[in-house]
Amino acid sequence: MLKMQDLTKTYRTDEVETVALNNVNIDIEQGEFVAIMGPSGCGKSTLLNIIGMLDTPTSGHYFFKDEDVAGYSEAQLGVIRKHNIGFIFQSFNLIDELSVAENIELALLYHDIPAAERKERVAAVMDKVGIAHRAKHMPSQLSGGQQQRVAVARAVVGNQSMILADEPTGNLDTAHGQEVMEMLQRLNEEGTTIVMVTHSPSHADYARRTINLLDGHVVTESMRA
Amino acid sequence: MLFTNYILSAWRNILRHKLFSAINVLGLAIGLAAVMLIALFVRYETSYDSFWKNADNIYRLQITFTAPGREPNPAVTAPTLIAPFLKQDFPEVTHVARAVPLNAIFIQDNNRIQEEIRITDQDILNIFDFEVIAGDIETALSDNYSLILNETLAAKYFGNENPLGKSITLETRVFTREYKVAAIIKDIPVNSQVNINAMIGLFESDWADDEALFKSWFRSYSFTYYTVKPGTDIANINNKMKDFIDRHYPSNLSGDPDNKPSDEVSLSSLNIKDLHLKAAGLGQQRPSGDYGTIIAFTLIAILILIIASINFMNLSTARASQRAKEVSIRKVMGAARTNLIIQFIGESIALTLISLLLGLVIVEISLPFYNELIGKTLIIEYGSSDIGNILIVALFVGFFAGIYPAFILSGYRPSENLKSNKSAETKASINFRTALVIVQFTISIALFISTAVIYSQIQYTKNFNLGFNAENILLIKGIRDNEVRDKTGLLIDELKKLTDAINVTSTSITPGVYGVTASNMRTPSMAEGKTVLIGDHKVGYDFFKTFGIEIINGRAFEESRNEFEASDVLVRQGNAAVNSMVINELAVRQLGFNSAEDAIGKSVSGMNYLGGDLTKKYQIIGVTSNIYFESLKNTVRPEMYVLNPYFTSTIALRYVGNPQEIIENTRNIWQQQFPNIPFRYDFVSDAIEEQYWEEHGQMTMITAFSGLAIFIACLGLFGLASFTAERRTKEIGIRKIFGAEVWQVVKLLVWQFTKPVIIANLIAWPLSFYVMSRWLESFVYRIDDMVIIALCLIAGLAALLIAWATVAGNSYAVARTNPIKALRYE
Repeated sequence: MLKMQDLTKTYRTDEVETVALNNVNIDIEQGEFVAIMGPSGCGKSTLLNIIGMLDTPTSGHYFFKDEDVAGYSEAQLGVIRKHNIGFIFQSFNLIDELSVAENIELALLYHDIPAAERKERVAAVMDKVGIAHRAKHMPSQLSGGQQQRVAVARAVVGNQSMILADEPTGNLDTAHGQEVMEMLQRLNEEGTTIVMVTHSPSHADYARRTINLLDGHVVTESMRA
Repeated sequence: MLFTNYILSAWRNILRHKLFSAINVLGLAIGLAAVMLIALFVRYETSYDSFWKNADNIYRLQITFTAPGREPNPAVTAPTLIAPFLKQDFPEVTHVARAVPLNAIFIQDNNRIQEEIRITDQDILNIFDFEVIAGDIETALSDNYSLILNETLAAKYFGNENPLGKSITLETRVFTREYKVAAIIKDIPVNSQVNINAMIGLFESDWADDEALFKSWFRSYSFTYYTVKPGTDIANINNKMKDFIDRHYPSNLSGDPDNKPSDEVSLSSLNIKDLHLKAAGLGQQRPSGDYGTIIAFTLIAILILIIASINFMNLSTARASQRAKEVSIRKVMGAARTNLIIQFIGESIALTLISLLLGLVIVEISLPFYNELIGKTLIIEYGSSDIGNILIVALFVGFFAGIYPAFILSGYRPSENLKSNKSAETKASINFRTALVIVQFTISIALFISTAVIYSQIQYTKNFNLGFNAENILLIKGIRDNEVRDKTGLLIDELKKLTDAINVTSTSITPGVYGVTASNMRTPSMAEGKTVLIGDHKVGYDFFKTFGIEIINGRAFEESRNEFEASDVLVRQGNAAVNSMVINELAVRQLGFNSAEDAIGKSVSGMNYLGGDLTKKYQIIGVTSNIYFESLKNTVRPEMYVLNPYFTSTIALRYVGNPQEIIENTRNIWQQQFPNIPFRYDFVSDAIEEQYWEEHGQMTMITAFSGLAIFIACLGLFGLASFTAERRTKEIGIRKIFGAEVWQVVKLLVWQFTKPVIIANLIAWPLSFYVMSRWLESFVYRIDDMVIIALCLIAGLAALLIAWATVAGNSYAVARTNPIKALRYE
């Protein structure tokens, strides 16, 4: 699915050059569930952003479905992103002014999909994550767990082949966190590739493989038995 | 301590949000500057003649003649015969005085200079409190050899010498007499319609040789001023004027036996303070102001203030979310809501005061240009109440612009705002802002449409086919002077010899001047006693050729035929010659002929005040198209032209080549013939331009202020757009992550500001159409109402384009930022 070779990312401010990722080599197969762990500032989010094509590497190669996208422009990346990748964030990032259904529909809005089909797919995915009874509510009227379920629905409604989740349980209590993890697991079982950044070892256990990052380096990779 | 904390917090807020503060301050400064400029103009225009001590009780009597078939002809003067009856008939009237304008030639050594002076009743001293500098003003008007001069004239004729007791010779149309300077008065301020440079006492016996001055009920020669007892309701006097006229007038104007004098003559009185803005008639002593213009400008000033205040409110509430945290922390620390309200209103007032300072700078810089534009000399008097008034307006604006944001901001609940993940904006405050933007754009669009309509009307007037060719005609004035009159023929012959002169003629009417002379005419086919009033103009040979007027039927006057109009004297002596006349198309209809062709050769008689059965006989020899010598505000009227160079007042010369050269050559010829008489000239095109000069100046003003209003509105929109974009960064980031492209984001943001502009258009269009179609009705010749509709569409499109341009740049920048930046920090 994706392959990174000698991937480096440096940030440059006026005075300092910070190396966020240093010679990272990662391979992720179609259908995998990968957790990325590591302390704050180790480069987890940078890695996730590059995987999600929200950021570009400074050097090295990034093959996405056998296509080297390392040198692609923002617009080119945008096209690949919207057809392949769904996002889930720690703070949900729902749009306050839009209802639950509208928030989910947003992910289809920028594809050429007729309105009727959009409605159908949104309804289907809301059933799937169990939020259909809240379709007309605004995000502020929902609990954190419900908000994150909306976010999950939004990430998958476009039939994305890969979901990137940035600490999806970080703002949730244990029970709701569990719920979201089970939902991700179910999606993975249906064939969706999932890459997740997390601090929680127990949630990392849902993944089949864990990549540990430290100061921009991949330090260990462990496979679940 | 709390107070310094407020000031510190306010100051830091201003510095921290430079864009916000700059937009707020600049918008308000421009707005206040515009309001100050307009206020100066309005104050000046409304200040006329309010400085007289008894101003509240001084009135001017004005007459309007309405001849059957003609429009009412209002004058600001009245016949000299009326004044004595005023005091006699109305017990409320305390003093009455006439001031008759007189062109007198002041002869001193060998210099002859024409001055306009007034022949005045002595009672005028009880009406106006002239400031006497020297001499005895009371006795000066009690004999007929004393002269009162204002300072300017005293200095002009006597320099630094003491003028009292010195003599100067005055040549009038009736007598030449030596006058002694008996008193000097201070110049009457410029903001007055009582323009008196010099006065001599009024003694009717002096003018016995003048045919009409103190004999006519139908020629309004004198400004007639009177005072009433304090508390008098002028309506009481105005209402009694009908009876007054029927009681005193010996006859009506037309001679129509069915009409009472009061059917054709009306008298009204205007308070002296209203003379400048509300006088309708001709003959004002200084150019009149226009009441409608004053109202329009006041309205524009208020609208500009509203737009600028709305900017303020919008930007402050938009920024509210950013200050929510400060509010919450202050509340947690124990601030009561009132403390916060005071703080925010204080901040608003502080910003207003900074704007005011900047506004004053703008006013001072623009005043010279502004003065040139409107032809006045307005200044801000810093020592006077001006500054106080301006401060009050600024504080008022600061208070009201600050009060809404203050209540919104101070109403935040700390528990809600200290949680990081909540938007502090409520739907209500967003809707309120949208409503304010709609108001701003409605005003801007309406101003845009109004300006465009006024402009179109002026262009229409400029391009109107006047029926004659106004280019390349030089006018030489002053040939009524006794000395010149007899030599006019010689002068014209000399002028014709100039190589650059094509045609030369003389005329009693010239373009740009209101032609009031008219005569009662009748044709044999009219009912007994009926007449129609036709404009009666005296011209010389080649009049039509010189002005390029088309003769559509018949012919012009020909030198070989000797067809001069017989004088009244000759007619009285029994001269029964038939005079030739040329009439215009309207006169053809008025006199009852079927067509121009039909009119040729027909006879018409003139009943020109000769009394009895004496009439002048005319035969129509030619018909011209209707020509528009007067402003297009007046309708074209039936006119007749007769060959009578003796009563012409101006020589008209059509030339080719350099205008400066023709002026020099003409001046040389004039000075050879009349070395003592100043050469006065004008160009027809200038005279026409001058009629619209005031409108053009006001047009420029309205355009400038409308432009400013639109600019301020855009400034606000720009600020609001950038805040909105900032507020929506998270949303934009999310949309981009889920596939939105830059143009789609721009479209989203731009559309947000398109809706209010469209709604504003829908409100502004009918409003502007209603107001501007009413305004156009004041013009006899005007553009079609459909033009307003077209201009509405153009204004709407322009407003959209301007709004888009204002919002799009900012939106594009926001849309392009990497979404991870928007989502990383919240």
